[in-house]
Amino acid sequence: MTPITIKKDQKLKTNSLMRRMFKQWDIQMMVIPALIFVFVFSYIPMYGVLMAFQDYSIYKGFLHSPWVGFKHFEMFFNAPEFWTIMRNTLVISLLKLFIGFPAPIILALMLNEVRKASFKRVVQTISYLPHFLSWVIVSGFVVSLLSTDNGSINILLQSVHLIKEPINFLAIPEYFWSILVTTGIWKEIGFGSIVYLAAIAGVDPHIYEAASIDGASRLKQIINITVPSIIPVIVIFMILAIGNLLSAGFEDILLLATNPVLRDVSDVLDTYVYRIGIQNSRYSYATAAGLFKAVISVGMLTLANLVARRSGNSLW
Amino acid sequence: MAKQRRPRLLLLITALMVLSLLAGCGSGGNDSANKPVPSPENTSNEGGKAGDAIVLGEKPLEFSFYGNYDWYSMPVWGDDLATKWIKDDKKVNVTGINSGGNTKQKLNTMIVSDDLPDVIWGDRGADIENMRANGLLVPLDDYLDKYPNLKKWAGESTLNMLRSPDGKLYQFPNWYTSQPNGNAGYLVNKKIYEDLGSPPLETTEDLYQYLKLVKEKYPNVVPLEVGQKEGIDILASAFAENHPYRFNLMMAVPEGNELKSIFTDSAFRESLQYSNKLYREKLMTQDAFSQTKDPVQEKVTTGRIAVFASSSPTEFGVMGDSLLKAQDPDAGYIMIWPVHKEGLDKNKIFPGDYNQLGWNVSVITKAAKDPEAIFAFLDWLTGPEGQSVSMWGPEGLYWNGMDQDGSTIFTDKYTSDPEGLAKVMDSTVNFQWAGNTVYVDGVKSKFEQTLPEEKRNWETRWQLEITWKTQYNTTEFVNLDPAGDSEEGIISQSVFGIYEQARSKAVLSAKNEEEVLAILDQAEKDAQKVGYDKLLKYKTEKWQENLKNMKQ
Repeated sequence: MTPITIKKDQKLKTNSLMRRMFKQWDIQMMVIPALIFVFVFSYIPMYGVLMAFQDYSIYKGFLHSPWVGFKHFEMFFNAPEFWTIMRNTLVISLLKLFIGFPAPIILALMLNEVRKASFKRVVQTISYLPHFLSWVIVSGFVVSLLSTDNGSINILLQSVHLIKEPINFLAIPEYFWSILVTTGIWKEIGFGSIVYLAAIAGVDPHIYEAASIDGASRLKQIINITVPSIIPVIVIFMILAIGNLLSAGFEDILLLATNPVLRDVSDVLDTYVYRIGIQNSRYSYATAAGLFKAVISVGMLTLANLVARRSGNSLW
Repeated sequence: MAKQRRPRLLLLITALMVLSLLAGCGSGGNDSANKPVPSPENTSNEGGKAGDAIVLGEKPLEFSFYGNYDWYSMPVWGDDLATKWIKDDKKVNVTGINSGGNTKQKLNTMIVSDDLPDVIWGDRGADIENMRANGLLVPLDDYLDKYPNLKKWAGESTLNMLRSPDGKLYQFPNWYTSQPNGNAGYLVNKKIYEDLGSPPLETTEDLYQYLKLVKEKYPNVVPLEVGQKEGIDILASAFAENHPYRFNLMMAVPEGNELKSIFTDSAFRESLQYSNKLYREKLMTQDAFSQTKDPVQEKVTTGRIAVFASSSPTEFGVMGDSLLKAQDPDAGYIMIWPVHKEGLDKNKIFPGDYNQLGWNVSVITKAAKDPEAIFAFLDWLTGPEGQSVSMWGPEGLYWNGMDQDGSTIFTDKYTSDPEGLAKVMDSTVNFQWAGNTVYVDGVKSKFEQTLPEEKRNWETRWQLEITWKTQYNTTEFVNLDPAGDSEEGIISQSVFGIYEQARSKAVLSAKNEEEVLAILDQAEKDAQKVGYDKLLKYKTEKWQENLKNMKQ
C-alpha cells in the first residue's frame, strides 16, 4: 500500500501520447471496460433527462410526447411539500456529513494505534461486515430491535429501570434522525475506514521515529503526523461527499420510515421522487425533480473543489 | 500544477475518442428502445365475429399471463393436480411472466417496449383504463353470447359496471358476486374471553372496558391487535350506521348526493379519538404503523392477542384456531358481532364491504394470437366445472359430478382427508383468476349445512353466522380513482399524503381528544389548499355515473 510513488518515471519520459499509450497497452486495456461501462450506463441514458421538459406518456413514447417547457419544475417548486423536503434533505445530509464522515477517520486512527495485530484484524472484520448486508436486512434488524413488543432495546431499558413503559421509537419524529444516522454509521463505518487505514499505512515510519526521539507523545504523533499525512485523502472524500449532499439516502429512509407519522422529518428528495413520481407513473415530474437535484449537486461539487484547490488537494 | 495539466488533457481526449468509437455501437440499440408503440390498427385480432364457438381441448392453446401485483408470481402451470389436468385434458398451457416485486416498472417497461403479455390480471382502475384508451386491449363483447358462463353467472348489471367509457367490455371479472361476501370484523380469543367472565362486547364502551380488563389481567397479551393499521380503519365503522371502512380508503364519505371530506366526517373523527385513547393507554398494538405482516401472524396464531380487528381476520384466525385447539380444546377463536357506538342500530354496522364486480379482472391484450380461445378458457374456468377443478382438484378425487342444481357433489374424501384437500386448495390459490363467488360459496355452504356442528369448517361457520351479514354493498363506489398523471390524480396523491400523515399523527402523537380534532382540522385546511374539493367533485361525478349505470 504505497501510493503516489510512480511520479518519478512519469517525469523522465516526455514521449508522445500514442507511444506512451502503446507502451502501457496492457494497462490501457484494463481501463476500457470501465469506460464502456460509464458510457453505456451513464452517458447513453442521459437523453432521458429531456423527459423533464415533456409530458411523457408511456404510450406515446419519447418521440411523440408533447413538450411542455418548465411546467414540471414549476409544479415541483410550488408543491406544498417542497420546503419540508429540502429541509429534511439538507439536515439529514449535513448530519451524515458531520457525524458520519469523521467517524471512519476516527476509527481508522484508533485502529492504527492498536498494537496487537490479531485484535485489530478481528475489529476490522467485525466492523466492515455490516457493509455487505443490504438495507432490507439492516432495517429489519433495527425495526425489531426498536420494537415495542419484545424489542431488545426496550427490554434492556426496562430491566435496568431507565424506563417504565416501552418507548415506540419508530413512531416519534424527534428520534428519527438519530436512529437513521446511527444506523448508517454502524453499517458503513468499518468499510469507510479501510481507505484511511491504507493512507495511514503509506506514511513513512521514519517520521514517527524522529518524532518519538524528539519526545512526541502518541497523541501528538497522531495530531501532527498521521492526520496531516492523510489530509489529501480526506479532502478528496470530503469533496465527493459535498457533491452528494442532496442524496440524503434512499433505501435506508424508505425502509426505516414506513410509518407516515415520520414523514415530516423523513421525506427527502429521493424518496419523494420515488413515492410521487415512480409509484404514480409521473415520469416527467420525477425526472424534473431528479434533474434539479443533479444540477445542484454538480454546482456544489464544483464549489467544494474550488475551495479545496486553494489547499492544493483538489479533485481536478 | 500547470505542467501536470497537459497529460491530463490528453487523457481526456483519449477517453473521448474511445467514447465516440463506442457511440456507433450504442445508437443501434438505442433506436429500438425509442421506437413508438405501433398503433393498434395494424394488429389483426378483430374478435371472432364469425365461426363457431371454440371447444377447449380440440386445439392446443398457449398464452402468457402477467399478474399485475408486486407480490404475485405465478406458480408453474402443470405442477399441481388441477393445472396438470387442465394441461393434459384441455390442452391449455399458460406461461407466467414475473413482476419481480416491482409491477409498476415491469408493466410500464412491457408497454414501452411493445412486449405485452397475452393476458394481464390485476386491479381495475386507471392502469387498465389507460391501456384500453390507447388501444392495447381486446373487447370481449363478441364472445359474450357464444360462451355461456360469464354472462350467466356475472349478470348484466355487473357486466355493465365493468364496461369502459366506449361502451365495450374489456375486463373479465374475478370473484364477482351478487351476494355479500368478505371477512372483515372482530376476532376474539375465546380462552381469555371466558376466563374474564364473558362480559358483553356490543358497544365501543364495552370493548374499551374489556380491553382494560385484559391489560390488567394479561400483561403480555396485546389487548387489541389492529394488524397493519387496518384495524384502526375498521373501527370507523362502529361510529356510524352504514359506514364501512371503504370510505376511509376512498377518502370521501357520501352525504346525500355528494361525497364529502373524510376529515370532517364525524364517524372518522370519533374513531380516531377512540384509537388515540386506546393507543395512549397501551390498549392496542403500539407499532401498528410500522409492523410487517409476520409479527401479526405470529401474535394471532400463538394466541397473544385478546381482540383482533382486521379486514380479513379469518386468514390468521383459522390457523390460530386449529393451533390453539390442538393444545387446549377449550381455546381457539370466536368472532363477535361488530361493535357499535351506544345508540346506533347494531344491524346497520358494517365493518367491511363487498362489491358485485369482485376483486380484480383479467384483460386480453392485442398481443394475443387467439383472443377468442383465451376467452373460451376463462369462461370455462369461471363455470361450474372450471371452478370445481381449480378449487378442489380434478374430478374423482374430492368431488364427483354435479347434482341436479348444478352444484358440485363432494366425495367422502372431502371430509376424511382434510390435509390432502388443504394441499390441493393451497396449490391452486394463485390460479384463481376467474373466481365465481356465488357458485363456490353456494356449494360450500350447501355442503356445510349437511355436516354436524363440530365438523363444520371454522371459517365457513363465521362467514355464515356473522361476516357475510355485516358487509356493505359498495358497488356504487367502484372506480372513483382518477388516473395518476391527471390533475385530479395529482391532487389525490397530495391528499393521500396528508390523510396518511394526519391519521398516524392523530393516533400516535395527539396527547388528548382535542389534539386529535386539531390535527384533523389542520389536515382539512391543507387538503383544501391542494384542491381536495376538486377531487371530491370528480369522485362525486363518477359515483353518480355508477348509480346511473346500475339502474340500466
